[in-house]
Order: sequence, then C-alpha cells, then structure tokens
Amino acid sequence: MPTVSVKWQKELYPAVEIDTTQPPYVFKCQLYDLTGVPPERQKIVMKGGLLKDDSDWSKLGVKEGQKLMMMGTADEIVKAPEKGPVFMEDLPEEEQVVAVGHSAGLFNLGNTCYMNSTMQCLHSVPELKSSLIEYPQAGRSNDLDQSSHLLTVATRDLFNELDKNVKPVAPMQFWMVLRKKYPQFGQLHNGSFMQQDAEECWTQILYTLSQALRSPSSSQNTDTVKALFGIDLVSRVHCAESGEESLETESVYSLKCHISHEVNHLHEGLKHGLKSELEKASPSLGRSAVYLKDSHINGLPKYLTIQFVRFFWKRESNQKAKILRKVDYPLELDVFDLCSDDLRKQLEAPRQMLRDEDGRKAGLKLKEKSSASVDNDVKMSDAENGSGESSKATSGEGVVSDKKTQLTGVYDLVAVLTHKGRSADSGHYVAWVKQENGKWIQFDDDNPIPQREEDITKLSGGGDWHMAYICMYKARTVAM
Amino acid sequence: MEPEPNNTGSGSGNPKEEATLKVPSKDPKKKDDKKDEDLSEEDVALKQQLELYVERVQDVDQGLQKVALESMRNLAGEIAQEYAKRVNEEAAVKDLIELVEQIVAFHMKHNAEPEAVDLLMEVEFLDLLVKHVDSTNYKRTCLYLTSSARYLPGPDDMSVLDIAYTIYTKFEEFPSALQIALYLHNMQHWMFVWQHVKQVFTSCPDLLRKKQFCYILARQGLSFELDEEMCADDEDREALQEIINNTKLSEGYLTLARDIEVMEPKSPEDIYKAHLLDGRASAGASVDSARQNLAATFVNAFVNAGFGQDKLMTVPSEASSGGSSGNWLFKNKEHGKASAAASLGMIHIWDVDAGLAQIDKYFHSNDNHVIAGALLGVGVVNCGIKNDCDPALALLADYLDKEDSSIRIGAITGLGLAYAGTQNEQVGISFPLHCIRDKLTPILGDPKAPLDVIAFTAIALGLVYVGSCNEDVAQAIIFALMDRSESDLGEPLTRLLPLGLGLLYLGKQDSVEATAEVSKTFNEKIRKYCDMTLLSCAYAGTGNVLKVQHFLGQCAQHLEKGETFQGPAVLGIAMVAMAEELGLDMAIRSLEHLLQYGEQNIRKAVPLALGLLCISNPKVHVMDTLSRLSHDADTEVAMAAVISLGLIGAGTNNARIAGMLRNLSSYYYKEASLLFCVRIAQGFVHMGKGLLTLAPYHSERFLLSPTALAGLVVLLHACLDMKAIILGKYHYVLYFVVLAMQPRMLLTVDENLKPLSVAVRVGQAVDVVGQAGRPKTITGFQTHSTPVLLAAGDRAELATEKYIPLSPILEGFVILKENPDYREEA
Repeated sequence: MPTVSVKWQKELYPAVEIDTTQPPYVFKCQLYDLTGVPPERQKIVMKGGLLKDDSDWSKLGVKEGQKLMMMGTADEIVKAPEKGPVFMEDLPEEEQVVAVGHSAGLFNLGNTCYMNSTMQCLHSVPELKSSLIEYPQAGRSNDLDQSSHLLTVATRDLFNELDKNVKPVAPMQFWMVLRKKYPQFGQLHNGSFMQQDAEECWTQILYTLSQALRSPSSSQNTDTVKALFGIDLVSRVHCAESGEESLETESVYSLKCHISHEVNHLHEGLKHGLKSELEKASPSLGRSAVYLKDSHINGLPKYLTIQFVRFFWKRESNQKAKILRKVDYPLELDVFDLCSDDLRKQLEAPRQMLRDEDGRKAGLKLKEKSSASVDNDVKMSDAENGSGESSKATSGEGVVSDKKTQLTGVYDLVAVLTHKGRSADSGHYVAWVKQENGKWIQFDDDNPIPQREEDITKLSGGGDWHMAYICMYKARTVAM
Repeated sequence: MEPEPNNTGSGSGNPKEEATLKVPSKDPKKKDDKKDEDLSEEDVALKQQLELYVERVQDVDQGLQKVALESMRNLAGEIAQEYAKRVNEEAAVKDLIELVEQIVAFHMKHNAEPEAVDLLMEVEFLDLLVKHVDSTNYKRTCLYLTSSARYLPGPDDMSVLDIAYTIYTKFEEFPSALQIALYLHNMQHWMFVWQHVKQVFTSCPDLLRKKQFCYILARQGLSFELDEEMCADDEDREALQEIINNTKLSEGYLTLARDIEVMEPKSPEDIYKAHLLDGRASAGASVDSARQNLAATFVNAFVNAGFGQDKLMTVPSEASSGGSSGNWLFKNKEHGKASAAASLGMIHIWDVDAGLAQIDKYFHSNDNHVIAGALLGVGVVNCGIKNDCDPALALLADYLDKEDSSIRIGAITGLGLAYAGTQNEQVGISFPLHCIRDKLTPILGDPKAPLDVIAFTAIALGLVYVGSCNEDVAQAIIFALMDRSESDLGEPLTRLLPLGLGLLYLGKQDSVEATAEVSKTFNEKIRKYCDMTLLSCAYAGTGNVLKVQHFLGQCAQHLEKGETFQGPAVLGIAMVAMAEELGLDMAIRSLEHLLQYGEQNIRKAVPLALGLLCISNPKVHVMDTLSRLSHDADTEVAMAAVISLGLIGAGTNNARIAGMLRNLSSYYYKEASLLFCVRIAQGFVHMGKGLLTLAPYHSERFLLSPTALAGLVVLLHACLDMKAIILGKYHYVLYFVVLAMQPRMLLTVDENLKPLSVAVRVGQAVDVVGQAGRPKTITGFQTHSTPVLLAAGDRAELATEKYIPLSPILEGFVILKENPDYREEA
C-alpha cells in the first residue's frame, strides 16, 4: 500500500495511504474525509492525466511518496439567475430611448436647422404631444384648410418618430407639408433652400396647431395651444396730451424681450417689452397723438415663451441684423411683478404655499438634526406626504386630480433655441432641451450632445457663440 | 577606416609630435601607389612601421605615446584593406596575421578593446581575442562584442557571440554566458543552445549561482528539465527545477504589491474615473449594456491581474450564498460569459493552486460558454508556470473533442497558453508533450471541425511549438490551409492559420524558406498574406534592415480591392525593427510616411505597429501620433490607435495616456465599439495596477522572450480585423497578452530565497559600450529599497557594498550574497 502526498489548494496532506485493491472511488472517499469535497466533485491530477473512478491502480503505477494534486471545492455550483439581465443591445429601438435618456436628433435637409430646433423645443412639451395624439387622422373640421390639417398630422407623426428612435430621424414629410402650408419657407436661393427665421417658423407652427387643435369636433371646446402657451395681456393705453385712457386686452403666444442699451437681464427686457409707445388718431384731439401703452399679464400660461428681439431690419444691408448684446436669463424666472393686480391677488395664495413648501424642505433638514418630539415627527411625515403628492400632481400631465394645480408665477427653464451667426437668415440654429430625467441635451440637428446645466445659462450672448433667441419656461405649480 | 581624420586629434604644437605626425599621413598615399607592384616589400614597410610605433608608445614621453597610438589606428585600417585585397586575390595572409596579433595585443593592453575587436573582425580572426583578454578588460571586450553583434550580418553575429560566450566562461562570468546562450536560442537550433546552457550549469560548482541561472531561464520563459549532470543532488535539483518552473513568481509579485501597498482590489469604475469628466458621461443608464459589461470584465481582469482578489468575480466566494459572483458572470451575454469565467484565471495568474480552486466550480455549470471560459481560465492561470502534476493538460485534454465548438476552442486555447514555448526536443524529456501534438493535430485535419476551431488550433500549436521549426506541425497546418474552401479563405479568422504557421519559425530566419516556398502554392487569396506573415515572424526581433525594406516595398504597392496582405507587412516592419533602439526609431519614422501616403488597409495597421514598437514604453512622440490617430475619421484607424495607446502604456499607469483615454471615453460615448476599445485600452494602461510590463525584451533589452512576442503578435493580428474578431465573439483573444505579462520589478532575495530589502539606485540607463574606464551606467537616479519597480529604459545598481548580486543585470529575481570583504563603517 503506497502512501502518497496530496496537495489540495494551499494545503498539503502528507502520507495518504492508497489501498490499491480497492477502486479509486474509495481513495476519493478518503480524501472526502480530509477535505470535505464530495467524491464526485473531486478531480485528482496525476502525472499524465486525471484519475478516473474506474481506472486500475496497478496500471497507474503509483509510486511511494508520489505527489498528487486534488482539485475541487465544496462550493456551490454557480447557477444562472432565473431571470437574466436585459441588455440594451437586445431591446427594440423604442425601449433603447429610455436607456439612452434622450430622444433622437433630426437630420438637416438643407438649411432646415431652424425647423429642426423649433420642433425639438416644441417636442419637449408633453401636453402638446398628448393632445396631438388625440387629433383625429381623417376627421377634418370644415373651418380648417387641408394643408393645416396635414401639417398637424405631420407634426404628430414626427413627434412619434422622435420618441421611437435612437438614431436620427429625417423629417421629410413634415418639411414638405410645412413648405406647402407656408410657401415662404420654400424660398430658394442659388438652387437651395434658404435659411429662415426660427421665430417665424415657431409662430407659424403654433398658429396652425392652435387652429387645428381648437376644432369643435373634439369633446372639450377649448384651445389647447392657447391653454398651454397663451398669455393674456391687459394694457392701459394712455394719452398724455389728452388724458384719454382705455383698457385693452389681448392674447399672445410669447413675450418679447426688448434689447436696448439699458437691458442686461431678461427681466429688464421683458419690462421694456410690455411698455410701448404708439401713435394713433385721438378722437378727442381730432388728430393723431402719442399714446403710451402699458401692459400687464393678466393670465399666465403653463409654458411661457420668451422671444429675445435680437433681430431688426437693417435697411442698408437689406437683411435682419442681429444685436449681439449679452442678456442674462435665469434658470428660474419669477414674473410676479409683470402681472396685473388682479392676477397678483390670485397668485398670492399659491405663492405662499410654494414658499412654505420650500421653507419646509429647508426646515425639515434642520429639525432632523435636532431630535424633534413625536408630534413633530408625525407632522413632518404629513408634510412629506403632502409635498410628495403635490410633486406627483405637478408631474402628472393634465391629469385631473382631486386637488387643483395652481400656477405660481414661478417658471423653470426647459428649452432654449439659440442662434449662432450675424443675421436671422444665416448662421445656425440649435435647440437645447431639458429632458424628463433633468439632463440637458443640445440638439444640433442629427447630433444630440449632453450638456451641463450651468452651461445653458452661458448662452446669453455677447459674442459669436450660440445665443438664446427663444426661451421656453415651464410653470411651477402647487396643488391647492 | 580612413587614415586622415584620425590625425586631427593631436594637433598641439610640439615640434617632435608634428614630425611624427607627418609620417603616417603621407606614407599611406605613397604606398597606395606602390601596392600593385610589390606586396612583400610593403609588408616589410608595414612591419617596420609597427615596430617603430611600438617603440614610440613605450617611450617615456607622453606626447610621443599619444601620437603612436594614433598611428597604430591608421595602420590597423591599412591592414584591414590589405587583407580584403589579398583575400580577393587569394594570396597568403599569414604575415599579415602576425602583424595583427601584435597590434591586438597592444590594443588590448592599452584600453583600446573596440579597436582590437574591429581589426579582428575585419580580418575574420576573432578567435585570437580569447588569448588576449584578461580579467581587467574582458568585460569591456564582451560588451563591445555583444552590442556589435546586433549590427552584423549573417553568420558573423553568431561567431562574435560565440567568442563572447567563450570569454565569459573563461572568466567564470556564468550569468552573462548564460544570457548569450539564450540570445543564441532565438536564432539557433535548440540542441546547440541546450549544450551551451548545460555547459554553464556543469562548469559552475556553486549551487546559489545555479539558482540565479534558473531565475534567468525562468524569465526567458523556457522550460527546462535539469538532469543529473547539471546538478547531482536530488533535493537541490528539485529546488532548482522549482525556480525554473516559475512557481514562486506569484509570491514575489505579491511581495512587490504589498510593499507598494496596492493590494486593495480596484473596480472598473476606479479606472474609468467618470467623475472627472464633465456632463458628457452618458446619462445614468438604467439598462445593462452587454458590450460595456464585457469591457468591464476585461478591465477588471487586467487591472487585478495576479492579485487574487477583485470586486466583481471573486468577492462573494466568502459571502454566504455564492450569489453575486454568479451575478456578474451572468451580466455578460453568451460568449461574453466565456471571457468573464476566464477572467478568474487572469485574476489568479501564476497562482495555480488558488486559481484552479476558484475556477473549479464553473466546470459544473450547464452553460457551455461558462465551461469554455473556465477551460480558457485554466490555461491563463498556468501560463508560464509548470506544475509537476500538469493539471492543465489533465483537465483540458478531456474537453478537446467535445461537440460544442466554444468548449473546444476554450480547451484548445487554454492548452496553447498553458504550454506556450514548452516544446523543445530535449534529450530524455519525460514531459508528456508529444501528447499535445497528438491531440491537437488531428483537429486540424478534421473535415467536420468548424473554421474557428481549426484557426485556434493552429494558433495553439504555433504557441506550443513557437520557434521550434517543427516539421510535423508545419505540415499539419499547411494541409489545413490547403483544405480550406474558397469561401473559408475569405473569412477573417483564416488569417490565424498562416500566423500559427509563422509562429513555428519565430525568429528563426532562413529556416522558414522551405515552408515559404510551399506557401507559394496556396490559393492566391491567401498566398501573399501567408508569405508576409511567415517572413515577418521568421525575421522578428532580428533588426534585419533588408527585410524592413522588403516590407516597406510591399506597402508601396497599390492594391486591388480585397487584398489584405499589407496589414501583416506593416506589422512585420515593427516585428523586425523592434530589435534595437536605432532601427526602432527609424521604423517609427518610416511608419509616419506610411500614414501619410498609405491607403486605408495600411493606415489601420500603422497604429498597431507603433504599439508593438513602443510596447509598455510610452514615448511622448508616439503617444502624440496615436492620440492624433485616435480621432481619425476612419473608425478602424481610430480603434487601432486607441488599442495601441493602451499597449504603449501597458502596465505603466501613465497619467498622460490615462487622461487621453478618459477624454476619448467621453468623446466616443455614443459609439459602442470605439468605447469598448477605449475601455480595453484603459485596462491595459492600468494592468496589474501598474506593476506589469508587456515588453517581450528583458535583461536590459538584450533578450527576447519568444512566447511573449508570440502572444503579442497573435493579439495584433487579431486587431487587424477588429470588427470580426475582438468586437465579434472572439474577444477572448485579448487574453493572449497574458503570455507577455511579467512583473516589471527588481526583487532581491537572500541565500534562502527570502525577500531581502536593500538600497538600490534606479535611474535612466546609459550606453557605456566602447567607453574607457569605469563610466557611470545610470543617470538621474533615485535611491529606493527593494522590491522596486523598473520602468522601460531604467537600470538599477546596488547602493551598498554589503551584498554582491549574483547576476550582473538587476532585473526580476536577483540573489544577493553577503560580501565577505565588507566592513561596516564605524
């Protein structure tokens, strides 16, 4: 009976006797006692090969003192998890969008960056998307012309495409319909389409959509676009000469930020934009006189659009020239002091709530540190629940909750359309859009590039870099 | 050797000097005229001159001595000319040789060894040198001999090295003699080298020194079986054999790691350092990407190579339910699981016992890819290590004939890695290696075997028989190539077959010719490709300028579409030119031209060639070139450049490359395949947490490890078609780098082979060839205590007299002996 030494992992078992009359299985059982590795998991390596259960000791020629090596562990055998992970590569394309975290880019079809960037900005309004989905494919109301209908359908399809794809989309259909509806966008210059003013495109598209989505065929007879973007203004028109005064109301889709030498900040520009002088016939004086028009916001939209009036018609060069002046704009805009007194009163309560909420959030942290009483804890958890619900309510788009959401006059920046270049009909338009996950994406035609939030406010002009042309703010609401 | 310029050196205004000066400068011209008429008379003149010079040199006057030395040099040049002439005319040269002998004797006495060697080389009578060296000048002589050997053609370099070997053994400088023997291995037949090595062992009586020899052999990656003549005592022989088998490599490596305090495992995120990038980092993906997980698997394997612990694969083995290790494994998709399982081998590399224990459980998996990975892992863990029981062979052999081709490839590749370079027809070898051949060659002939199995079999055989010129194996691969159908020949994997064939002749120069002839009969689709591959392998590491030109010539051709042979030709330039520094710099410049004028298939190979030339040696200008190419408009060029950035920085933790790669990772965040390459490169740069090197050259860039080079070449050839191989389902070819992985350390051990910490100076190596006296060998040094890391081009020397190193080259394991003459300074 030869004795051998067996090496197992880092351990060495000297002097293990082999009973050569027994099959190797017995030897394996011996080792089982020593190592705790079940025989069927053991692999015994001898010079020249593995020891098999049915091999014959005499043929193997085991020598006294020979070194054997045993492999095997009592470890659990790795099993595949029942549900394997899902890999991005396997997902259908629309699901990959979620993983990528932003929607697709749009191919430039030849100077169509103004259209691409406009569509990317509008695409970021979920309410617009949802109301477009409800838009009937066939049923066109009589007061809507065919081309507007087609444009609305094309917009809906384009938004769908953007949501479904990871790779850039070519907005061919939309582009054709847009040109049909608004032939000015089809202008040719040297055989190719001309660059256009994005603001014009934006306005026209919104106008068409407001026409289409107002259609009486839909159940609620309201204007979706107006509800989302419309700003009610009340203006006091006052003539200094005659002392005449009248009130006018109007509804616009965007506020203008006038840029003059004194304007350094968006807020100042907006104030300027709401005051204007106009000349009109004065009934009392019997001639035309200068009237001062002083407007205030009387109704706030969910999405506040602000246009920087950067372009003016330069007669000598016969083109829209650009004001490069730097005008800062904030990520969070408060328009309270631009509102009319009526609206201010309405806003008081929701604003108080918003302040309270902010205060609670800040205060909560303080209280957590100083171990509060049980009562306080209960209140706190209530408060937490409350804020949780309200945030749910704000994120739920158009969902009718038992609590009504109220505007507060505070807005958050969600999209910026920038222009780079010296005139409106040249240069390059790019959209910078905040995604639902809070990340900013720069949509440079077919190329979406992630950006940092702090870089977004750097698009305020003052150089030849991209500068904001249209800003879109989303209302911060509270549940009442 | 022009006589005139040599005179300009001694122009100071001693009239006596000027007088003598005129003699040599005028005489040769006179003689030139006479030469044709009377030869013997000229000899007499020569002899007289020599005697005159010798007399003058022995003159007490310093000025006169100097002039005489100058003249002696002229004379030597004339003799060389005369010799060449007489050989042409087949005249007698005996009288000249007598003169030569006198001159050599004189030179050797007067610190002018290079001149003596030059003269003897001119007259082809180097044997004379052995007589004239003594203990004061043999080192300088041999240094000059060995470094000039690189620039000598054909058989001359052999004879020069042989002389150096003889001189070293004469003065009992055995480690250096052994190194020359190993150098010869790259060109010579195995038996020849075997005799030299044996002679070194038998002529050295000291056991400790024999141990040092074993360390040198182990670093070269040669497997040796010591016999009784080499070491009579059984126990000692076992100890020596253990060193050769590299079993202690893991221990030494971990000693280094502990000393440098890098034992803490690192996760791929620690390497990516995404937090240093601005907002670009891809939006927190909630879904796993199979490709990125695979990249993380590789990065994890490379970074934690050899440390035995990591944060993905080994963590939960202690945790209760064995849960999350399986989890990471199964976060890889299909063939990705193979690489994940094999990464365990990489993490435990060189530590066979622990590694096999970890891998074992994966053998029982019911997933074929996992089993394949486990098999490959066994190969990786055994790479460069020889174990008495041969566990790799025992475990893998059973899987060679399995149905599933991924299992087969795993087993075949595993065998190739584990037994790379072990084939040498050593007398009386008890190693059951023939059985590897018997097992693998039939697969090549198997008509049912799929192409990928055959391709990897060829590579495995090429690795096992690297540089052996084994005809049976060559035949088998040739037949396999001939049997391929037309469509098979178009497959990207087919390129591995000629490569397997080429590896058999790695560095063996002319021996390839017969096979190269045969390759001319192949299908024309593969003929040229095969030819280039064979040539580049055969002349790899020789520095043969003619071959470099040949390859450049091939690259100048304008190709029809579909031809691919220029890729291996470009790699061939790098493989041949990497032998020595001068040729290397020249090759880098030539590659720059190829970049400017070459077509796409050349341009995509250039970064890889640069990567090979500067492997683990991040030269700044190469780094800049690659950085530029990594933004190339052509994706394949960019991918190759990114991988090469990893290669030149491999194991260095180079901050600049790391920064470049980080920026690339944000630049390419959307392009999955390029991002994968960037990740792999990041893994390379931080390989072994910066303790490893991939350089196949070691021992002060003198010796080339054939297995290391073979591993790199396989990887680079695979990179020639990145899309089909590395980005496809054969990404485990990345594990071939394991062949080239070595700790870049100096670990000093005492007489019991226990680590011993001593002070050493580490600095930039200085070329001291041909310099008189005892010049400084390093510059800009810092003093450290061992174990210490050595960067490319670094050299170490002991900072204490207390110990004597047993190897003249301080790299890897070095045994220190106490200096008996050392006195502690009071």
